[in-house]
Amino acid sequence: MTDPQGADRALLLQAALDGELDAAGMIEVEARLAADPALAAEYARLVALRDAIRARAPRPKAPDALHARVIVMAHPADRKPTAAAPYRPVWGNAGYRALAASLALGIAVGAGVYAAFAPAPGGDKVERAVVAGYIRGRLAGQPVDVATSDRHAVKPWLAGKVAGATTVVDLQADGFSLVGGRVDVIGTVPVATLIYQRREHQIALSELPAAPDAASSEPRRVTRDGYALLEWSDAGRRYVAVSDLPAPELDAFAAAFRRAAAAEREEPPKP
Amino acid sequence: MAHRRFAELVLPHLDDAYGLARWLTGSGTDAEDVVQDACMRALASLESATIERPRAWLLTIVRNAAFTWLAKNRPKAVLLTDDAQLLEAAAAKSPGGAADPEEALIAAADAAALESAIQALPHLFREVVVMRDINGLSYRDIAAAVGAPVGTVMSRLGRGRALLIERLGGSR
Repeated sequence: MTDPQGADRALLLQAALDGELDAAGMIEVEARLAADPALAAEYARLVALRDAIRARAPRPKAPDALHARVIVMAHPADRKPTAAAPYRPVWGNAGYRALAASLALGIAVGAGVYAAFAPAPGGDKVERAVVAGYIRGRLAGQPVDVATSDRHAVKPWLAGKVAGATTVVDLQADGFSLVGGRVDVIGTVPVATLIYQRREHQIALSELPAAPDAASSEPRRVTRDGYALLEWSDAGRRYVAVSDLPAPELDAFAAAFRRAAAAEREEPPKP
Repeated sequence: MAHRRFAELVLPHLDDAYGLARWLTGSGTDAEDVVQDACMRALASLESATIERPRAWLLTIVRNAAFTWLAKNRPKAVLLTDDAQLLEAAAAKSPGGAADPEEALIAAADAAALESAIQALPHLFREVVVMRDINGLSYRDIAAAVGAPVGTVMSRLGRGRALLIERLGGSR
């Protein structure tokens, strides 16, 4: 850290790593990395560190008792029957779920009403909105609202925000790691979107309610604005995946996702 | 109404809040105290605050609650030296690029190694690394949370990561 050049260089690498550079800045960094093997090695180490932390650093979950205490804070008045015993662990899980369900109900009912009365979005509009969401996520460098590789964290987060249960599966073994989830709005309908990652590519997978009589359909390839899209339906839900991955890899993703989702429908995983 | 909003804004991010507090205090029970304190502060500030991004808002409160808690209970953990001193001390300790830390070793670090390496960081470095790589906050949000300019956040991140790379990359 003696020369200011070195310090600047280090800061530039951090910003590139964290997606905090604009496109022009990123191009400059890429050019520097290509020209300077030592810098490229340093960058590779930073990437390895970031990926290791994201994938494996412990992410402790709030204990049930803490959940319970915070929920009591949120609802001081309507806990009369159980208010005397909010600290008991037995109260924790079931009580929390019921409460959380009632808290989420307001949001979920709102979302459900929208879903029921909003006109079903046409295919073209959905594709455009999904691609727009994808581009926005990449440009902002913050593609997810909830960043976690734990599918058991993404699912409940989404549950309060969109109508219906979202299918979230772990595809790590197939080479696609879960980055997190976000809510996209298509027309007036809030829609759950999951982000998976393979190498430096991201896949955004949006799940929409399908028409009630819609049959399952095999993945169909569409290209829009240069992005590969894949659409299919399963179990009354419609899926739209978009990515800058080569089309065959996106096919592999869809196949892995459908397989895992089908397995989960057959046999719900034990907690 | 405030309670309703509190439930909507805070509960979805409780795991994140607890995770951050756990990393900052290094202990589960202390983290629970900090989160509870932070939630009380959050509830109190709901009326007056305009909250655009609830997650960043809550994590900022947690970070500040943890800082207050540490300053009171473990004053030695919170080094209140200024950045220049801290960065210099960190730079002086590094071997000056003699041994190249190995990328493969870093990539293969397991959960326990990562945890102890991150816990070993000086507090000011640890909080920015955790907020960035575990909570996924942007530089702007981190800067707002720790009350420092973005440039300072970046240099702390840079030094913190360099220390982690040294530790995990084999030049121990």
